[in-house]
Amino acid sequence: MFYIHQNTCISPQHTFLNVDIEELRESVDNKLAVIEPGYEGIPPGILRRMGKAVRIGVGAALPLVKQVDVDGIIIGTANGGMEDCIKFLNQIIQYGEGMLTPGNFVQSTPNAIAAQVGLLTANKGYNITHVHRGLAFENALLDAAMLLRENPAGQYLLGAVDEISAYNYNIDHLAGWFKKGNFSSRDLFLTESAGTLAGEGSAMFIVNNNAMTAEAFVQDANTLHTDNEQDVAARLQYFLEKNLANGDEIDLLLSGENGDSRFKKYFEMCESILAKNVQVARFKHMSGEYATASSMALWLGCRVLKEQQLPRHMIEIYTTKKAYKRILIYNNYKGNQHSFILLTKP
Amino acid sequence: MSRILVTGMGVISSIGNSVAENRMSLVEGKSGISILDVFNSKYSGRLPVGEIKTATGSLREKLGANEPGVTRTTLLALHAFDEAISDSGLTNIQLSSIDTALVGASTVGGMCLTDELYHDANKDADGSEYLYSYDCGSVNMYLQQRYAMSGIVNTINTACSSSANAIMYGARLIKNCLAKRVIVGGTDSLAKFTINGFNALHILSDEVCIPFDRDRKGLNLGEGAAFLVLEREEDIVDKKIYAQISGYSNTNDSYHPSSLSENGDGPYLAMQAALRFAKLDVSQVSFINAHGTGTENNDEVESRAMLRLFEKPPAFSSTKSNIGHTLGASGAIEAVYSVLNLAHQELYPGLNFTNPIPSTGLIPVLAYKKMPLQHVMSNSFGFGGNCSSLIFSKA
Repeated sequence: MFYIHQNTCISPQHTFLNVDIEELRESVDNKLAVIEPGYEGIPPGILRRMGKAVRIGVGAALPLVKQVDVDGIIIGTANGGMEDCIKFLNQIIQYGEGMLTPGNFVQSTPNAIAAQVGLLTANKGYNITHVHRGLAFENALLDAAMLLRENPAGQYLLGAVDEISAYNYNIDHLAGWFKKGNFSSRDLFLTESAGTLAGEGSAMFIVNNNAMTAEAFVQDANTLHTDNEQDVAARLQYFLEKNLANGDEIDLLLSGENGDSRFKKYFEMCESILAKNVQVARFKHMSGEYATASSMALWLGCRVLKEQQLPRHMIEIYTTKKAYKRILIYNNYKGNQHSFILLTKP
Repeated sequence: MSRILVTGMGVISSIGNSVAENRMSLVEGKSGISILDVFNSKYSGRLPVGEIKTATGSLREKLGANEPGVTRTTLLALHAFDEAISDSGLTNIQLSSIDTALVGASTVGGMCLTDELYHDANKDADGSEYLYSYDCGSVNMYLQQRYAMSGIVNTINTACSSSANAIMYGARLIKNCLAKRVIVGGTDSLAKFTINGFNALHILSDEVCIPFDRDRKGLNLGEGAAFLVLEREEDIVDKKIYAQISGYSNTNDSYHPSSLSENGDGPYLAMQAALRFAKLDVSQVSFINAHGTGTENNDEVESRAMLRLFEKPPAFSSTKSNIGHTLGASGAIEAVYSVLNLAHQELYPGLNFTNPIPSTGLIPVLAYKKMPLQHVMSNSFGFGGNCSSLIFSKA
């Protein structure tokens, strides 16, 4: 598929600028909120008008697109700027559809993130926003792979953003997606209860076909809608047969397990298909759960390939390894959107 | 690489519940713009919109979509989707096959339910049946489940160019061998969210919209949905073929969040790139289904971009004078209309036009006519500078 070069991540952990993922930041009020950086490079007048999703998206993207020219901007986000959306919605109801200010409306359209990055860098190339809920980032990734086949010399910004907003937090809470009672992200995998923790973040990647100095190679990706774990198993088997030559093994499964007991069966099924001595690591205690959390997994995967180590708090099953060469990311969102991404060391 | 052909279409809009009904209305120059009535808002009884006069409950019953949480946006999509797959003769086995993809667009999704959303977003108990239905992805999640689709499923939102990009993404899935056949389109229903949003931006007209007219006052919002079935030529046996999709593009105007640059760089580059992709010269375009929203900004900029690229622009008009601006559905509905232009070798009259814009002098097609058409371009431009052009060619 393609190579990943420079990349950034704004998350609830220390992943931006001075990266330190050994130290684990815990959730507050059952939410893992991002650490917002100073946003140097975004003009203050523009920054003031941005909602959080646009801010963290643009904030993560700008350092990359200021270093390298890109032929296009590809963003995955399930909801875009929902905080602005709810503000505008509240205006509609509270002022009885009276005279409203359009700022929140314009900022709330999910394509505002890709549009702002394009605007701030005068980029007139390909510009798109994929919003297919838990597979918004995977569709963006597929889009990048297609673009790099169509335009092999090209270079693109690929990324994902989603925020915790009053809108999605409350609605997902009502739908039973979050754990009840006060709860720490440290204990996310220790409970046998339904629900997870709310999270948010943005991750951005410069991708092209150039192996030189690349941090990682995205070999393949596959997506599936189902709530049947046998379908997931069949798709994983197909994916492994297609992508692993004889004798090759997955060195690390980066699992999107989110502490919700209802979805454990999918992760156990995937672990059972992989070789017995596969190492398993998890990340949702760092990111919390959100529709495009697999983008943070991809960022972490790049880091593991580069550093050849990962923090203890991520490890679920430890096996001694000579090296991390092949990482499989398996994620599912709300039990019916599944994805596999195979990441290898260039 | 074999050609990518349109083998099925479905559409529902304020001028008809099927492709045949829509075509008849276009031929007759019928307008679907009326005063807001079915949808309950402060603007009911006074705002002109392209409203489908079938109540949501009737749509649900007609389509047998009785699951809880199905929204009007999804019902409109299902209506058009069902017509398209039946028109193309796709079997249930084909629909659920791993090489069949679904790419749909929406900008409103379940936000048409403004009051339910307000409740669910602000209260901590007593959630409504729509908790899973508000996002744009909910529409295609429903279609995927209803037809047990196992191939790639995606939802795109680039504001008013969303479904043009859905069509483009689908065609590219075929070109890149990630699908053999794709069902592509878009849907949007009228919503307080968009009515009040566009109103706050002062680009809604309080009269019927008059695209490309000197005295235009803004756009009329509309609702509807359309889907097209695209297949590889080599896989098609004994099927009706409407047209070929021969070009597409996606560019960014990179000027302002909600208006186009004076010279229309985004629209110009979009049209130019689509032509280049289709390996066509400007002189080969027979007709342009313009974005033509009827706003001060769009129509003048689009005219200027057409003059820059074509020098002498081909015949053009905007079907938004018939159905209003259907936002996330407009690219797909207008793609269906462009394919109808080609399939029937005919042009439909643009409505309500009197005087050209002084600085550009361009006059849209004003009367129905039969004429030989080879290549038809369809433009869609959106907020965030998201510009896309599609080119359909005679099969």
